[in-house]
Amino acid sequence: MSEAILDPAAFAHLLEITGDDLEFVDELVDTYFDDAVVQLEAMRQAADSGDAEALVRPAHSLKSSSANVGASALAEACRSLEADGRAEVVPDFAGRVADCEAAFAAVRSALLAERASR
Amino acid sequence: MIGGRVLVVDDTAFNRRLLVRLLTSIGHETLEAENGREALALLRDPAVAPVDVILLDIVMPEMDGYETLEVLKADPQLRDLPVIVITGVDELTSVVRCIQMGAADYLPKTVDPEILRARIEASMSAKRLHDLERETLEQQRRLLATIDRQRSELARFLSPQVAALVSSDDGEAMLAGHRREITAMFCDLRNFTSFSEAAEPEEVLGFLRAYHGVMGPLIVEHEGTLEHFAGDGFMTFFNDPVLQPDHAARAVGLAVAMRERFADLGALWRKRGYVLEIGVGIATGYATLGRIGFEGRYDYGAVGHAIILAARLSGEAAAGEILIAPRTYAAAEEAIEVQPAGDRQLKGFSRPIPVYAVSAMRTKELAE
Repeated sequence: MSEAILDPAAFAHLLEITGDDLEFVDELVDTYFDDAVVQLEAMRQAADSGDAEALVRPAHSLKSSSANVGASALAEACRSLEADGRAEVVPDFAGRVADCEAAFAAVRSALLAERASR
Repeated sequence: MIGGRVLVVDDTAFNRRLLVRLLTSIGHETLEAENGREALALLRDPAVAPVDVILLDIVMPEMDGYETLEVLKADPQLRDLPVIVITGVDELTSVVRCIQMGAADYLPKTVDPEILRARIEASMSAKRLHDLERETLEQQRRLLATIDRQRSELARFLSPQVAALVSSDDGEAMLAGHRREITAMFCDLRNFTSFSEAAEPEEVLGFLRAYHGVMGPLIVEHEGTLEHFAGDGFMTFFNDPVLQPDHAARAVGLAVAMRERFADLGALWRKRGYVLEIGVGIATGYATLGRIGFEGRYDYGAVGHAIILAARLSGEAAAGEILIAPRTYAAAEEAIEVQPAGDRQLKGFSRPIPVYAVSAMRTKELAE
């Protein structure tokens, strides 16, 4: 598990608060994947149409769920996009959304790798 | 603490699942909504059992947390439900705004089960306390409504002043007995005894109903305290339990109004062959007032020299005459027109008493 992609402490916290219920954590992570796909799609559409306001909500949601699964770098990227979206000035809009997509792909691989490693 | 029902409002399935899981593990039941609109629909659905606490996300599609809070706080049925706002660490300004809008508390998005447990329990205790308070207020309201109903029922049997006194704060002390200057008025009818012997009982009762129907409202209008009706006679007094600085003039005013109103009634019965006339006696002086009678049947009554004098004067009065005692005349002099009616030797009084017969109210003449 790469620490830059997935924060082991945050993931451990998730395990701990669910009472080390791995089955539930797996379900939760799958839910995260489903949510993230929807939110990234909305962010992509916002970038395509240059709609800063439409970026705020999906970036906000992806930020909080990413933080909870330990995807700290993705959470931080989303936080900064959300803030810029609110300010209605989003420098490098499309590029940064593409970065989030790439970051999510990495998080997904890392989480699936973690699951496979048990 | 027993578990409550918690409504989780968040657009992200991940957050809802995590919160629901944590809440269930600490013994709460949960309901879920994806946004404010859904949440309100659930809260207002009579088929859905009421919830104890709402966990509310702020950034949501359709209806966000602020709008939801606003609607909740404007709804009398829902405004007391505690709302805990779920926020990210970087959203403290929105927390402040939510608390100003009436949110009970907030939770960070990176949930800690212990903090979640503590906040939910605190909010539930506050709500239970609030529910209890509301219940107590409701009981109090019902109690007051009952007292009000009793008071208005009581007013049908007692003088309105006495009914009000019974339910007032100093009622007990007043009922126990007190001394005060009052003006007492006795009224009865000339020839009533012969009428009641000659007429059919139904006629007598019919007459009394009409007579009481005319006199009763006049007493209420002049705010006299009616002690009792006994056949053709009744006694009313003024300045108690409600203070009336013009009590002497008021009593005379009532007597004059009664004499005027009785004229029509008397004329009606004269056509049927019965000559009935009103006679009134009025006296002013100190009396002892309070509860008089026995357990099971009490009257609010007056005892004193003035009452006996008023009764004697009413006995002395000729048809249509209003006789008043010197002290009443002295007190009401400005307001009334009188003729001296001589010094009368009355039963139970050692010396003759100068008596006055009232011809009219002066204030009324001036006004005309």
